[in-house]
Amino acid sequence: MVKEIEKAGITVVQMANLIPIAITVGANRMVPTISIPYPLGDPLTPKAEQWKLRYHRVGVALDALATDIDDQTVFEV
Amino acid sequence: MKKGILYLNQFFGQIGGEDKADFAPIIKEGLVGAGMLLNNLLDDAEITHTLICGDNFMGSNEEEAVEKLLGYLEDKEFDIFFAGPAFQAGRYGNACGVICKAVKEKFNVPVITSMHKENPGVDMFKKDIYIFKGGDSAAKMRNDMTKVAEFGNKLLKGEENKGADAEGYYTRGIRLEVFREDEKLASERVMDMLLKKINDEPFVSELPIPALDRVPIAPAIKLDGAKIALITSGGIVPVDNPDKIQSSSATRWGRYSIKGLERLGNRSDNAFKTIHAGYDPAAADADPNIVLPLDALRAYEKEGKIGSIHDYYYATVGTGTAEGEAKRMALEIIEYLKQDKVDAVILTSC
Amino acid sequence: MNLEIGNFKVQNVKFGKTSSFEAGTLIINKEEALAVVLEDEHITEADLVLTKPGDNVRIVPVKEAIEPRFRLNGGPTFPGVTGKIERVGEGKTVALKNCSVLAVGKHWGSFGDGLIDMSGEGAKYTIFSKLNNICLVADTDEAFERHEVQKKNHALRWAAHRLAEYLGSIVKDMTPEETEIYALDPITKRSEKTKELPSVVFVMQPQSQIEELGFNVLNYGWDTNKMLPTFMHPNEILDGAMIGASYMCASSKWSTYDFQNCPMIKTLFGEHGKSINFLGVIMSNLNVSLEQKERAAMFVQQMATSLGADAAVLTEEGYGNTDADFIECFKLLEEAGIKTVGMVNECTGSDGTSQPLAALDVSADAIVSCGNVSTLLELPAMGTVIGELDSLMRDGLSGGWEDDDELGPSVREDGSIIMANDSMFCGDSVLGQSIKTMKEF
Repeated sequence: MVKEIEKAGITVVQMANLIPIAITVGANRMVPTISIPYPLGDPLTPKAEQWKLRYHRVGVALDALATDIDDQTVFEV
Repeated sequence: MKKGILYLNQFFGQIGGEDKADFAPIIKEGLVGAGMLLNNLLDDAEITHTLICGDNFMGSNEEEAVEKLLGYLEDKEFDIFFAGPAFQAGRYGNACGVICKAVKEKFNVPVITSMHKENPGVDMFKKDIYIFKGGDSAAKMRNDMTKVAEFGNKLLKGEENKGADAEGYYTRGIRLEVFREDEKLASERVMDMLLKKINDEPFVSELPIPALDRVPIAPAIKLDGAKIALITSGGIVPVDNPDKIQSSSATRWGRYSIKGLERLGNRSDNAFKTIHAGYDPAAADADPNIVLPLDALRAYEKEGKIGSIHDYYYATVGTGTAEGEAKRMALEIIEYLKQDKVDAVILTSC
Repeated sequence: MNLEIGNFKVQNVKFGKTSSFEAGTLIINKEEALAVVLEDEHITEADLVLTKPGDNVRIVPVKEAIEPRFRLNGGPTFPGVTGKIERVGEGKTVALKNCSVLAVGKHWGSFGDGLIDMSGEGAKYTIFSKLNNICLVADTDEAFERHEVQKKNHALRWAAHRLAEYLGSIVKDMTPEETEIYALDPITKRSEKTKELPSVVFVMQPQSQIEELGFNVLNYGWDTNKMLPTFMHPNEILDGAMIGASYMCASSKWSTYDFQNCPMIKTLFGEHGKSINFLGVIMSNLNVSLEQKERAAMFVQQMATSLGADAAVLTEEGYGNTDADFIECFKLLEEAGIKTVGMVNECTGSDGTSQPLAALDVSADAIVSCGNVSTLLELPAMGTVIGELDSLMRDGLSGGWEDDDELGPSVREDGSIIMANDSMFCGDSVLGQSIKTMKEF
């Protein structure tokens, strides 16, 4: 799906845990998440900590949308 | 007696050489040139008509050429369509590919052509049509036409297709399972392959690694004032799953309003839940925002980092989903994104 | 470590007054057998139904398959599951061949359950159509998961394993018809001749994706999700150390029966001392987070290297996100100079155009392919259904559906079905028995 959206000229950032798969699928902008069942918030941690992680990584994702890149890029969190 | 139609360029159609490359498309009743050879090689079928078009005409006026050619075919009855062989001629290869693909889409008959492996038409069209591995010049005409005719006969008789390699056409990117005739166990095949690899002997992998398919990078956007949409393949939907999206091998997607919502309510609130069968749903049911981070994005909206959040989010399920389905769903969703003038997308997956 | 498996070939099965085995016939005292099942009060109803190859029978939902075995030292057949933990893979074990115990839901199916046709067009899609099957058809009081798509199926699976042990005990005092011997000396104590042969490790990646206990493959009763890759003697896998998971899509599943009969291990044993030096098994897993996948691959690489492996066979129980584990291990093994061959199944869609594996790498240049989970199978109605046919479309089995815009429901009024190979029970035989491959069309 990410490739079709990008082909249509809409800038897109993929947030996923399995970066090797996102790369194989052909995503250009990628931000890692922490796991498959809970990508942006570990239920074993306090709500405040989950919020902090989610807020931070979504911020990285937004910045990724605003960043020029030459090649497939995994943005550091 | 089944009927077939053959497409030739200006040269093989006996119109002229390079000087006639701008020849506009025509249809002739009966056989022309190598069409006679093809006709003789077909078993229970005959070539009834021949289409002829100049390579340059097709190259420079593709839409017009295709329209004319398909127009000629509209009132004709035919069960199979052939083009070329194009050998190494690039423009001819392109023309064969274009017309074969168009005929297949419109008339739904088998289409067969032939090209040398270095003909650019191969990579461009091999996924759409049968392109037989052909020779590098017209000296190979008999060889190439024979392979094409033999396969044509097979298809018309409904005989078993033994696969791209066995039949002799370029792989189309279609991989299907088969029961091996020799019934050799996988463990034995592994052992054979392992010993060959250890001893530096050549072996053939049963799964050739395909080249990665990449898309051009979309430009960076200005966040200030931008409208951002959220999309997820993590299966986050309203609790009643109103669009009945499947938990795996999904063919449906949903568009759900988040207008005025600060965050997604959870399953216990009777608001949202996950239907994705490929992961443990507990965390997502308890807090769908960990898969679709609406709450975090709202915070950025309030702060003014972005202009606004698109009023709707889009969801489907990404496990076991066929690529073709994912592509179709994406194209349908993109219509809405464009309509609503979305500037960029955050896509989350599980 | 020497393991002797004494085989008794079962030609047919019937119920009778005394549980016994004579001239190829297994006789089961139904009451005694069911008593073993009903030891667990969570089983609310149970019955044993027999079926053999050629019967006009369909079985669904099948949750597990186990070969009846008994260990002659009196220890549990499945340590950590049917009894206390103790090491297996040594000494004598008896086995009832050509048959299996199947755990079948009386009503309720789950995501990973599968289907078996004992005759007709559908039979060729699973090796279990070739066995005499003793079906434990049961219902439980596990209300908490009754309507969940993912089920632990604990009561039924444990009962089936107990039943398999009970049946195995029937031949414990008898002389086997034939004996299989599995002998593998400690690595550094092997003959010079053997040590000169190319050394091979078998890397296994069983299903361990669910973080909550009760779903994943167990290793001596320990959840494989809570494991780091470790080194095991192949005899342990052949002798009951591992039991199947209650989660994996059926055609990709490694049932307990598959572990007990692991064809790849048997093939490696067959070549040991002749063309290879079979070092042993690196038992890894398939956890979900990227960091865990990377850590496991690291351990596999380190162990294979430290053991001095020249080559490796690598196999994963699954597809989709677990392809990332498979590829990661492949990459790291090749980087360490260990020549690797992989054995997997693919997911190319019903039209064959989807990418075969979710992750790819040029280093994965040697792969044997066992089948396509997405193949659409349309099969006629069968005379009898053991279990409940509607479970295929109602209960969330990965290869069945309630309604599809083009294909309609998986179960039709006349009893015929349309499903994906994904739910064929152990259909892709990914531990080595598959006679399927993939071809380009």
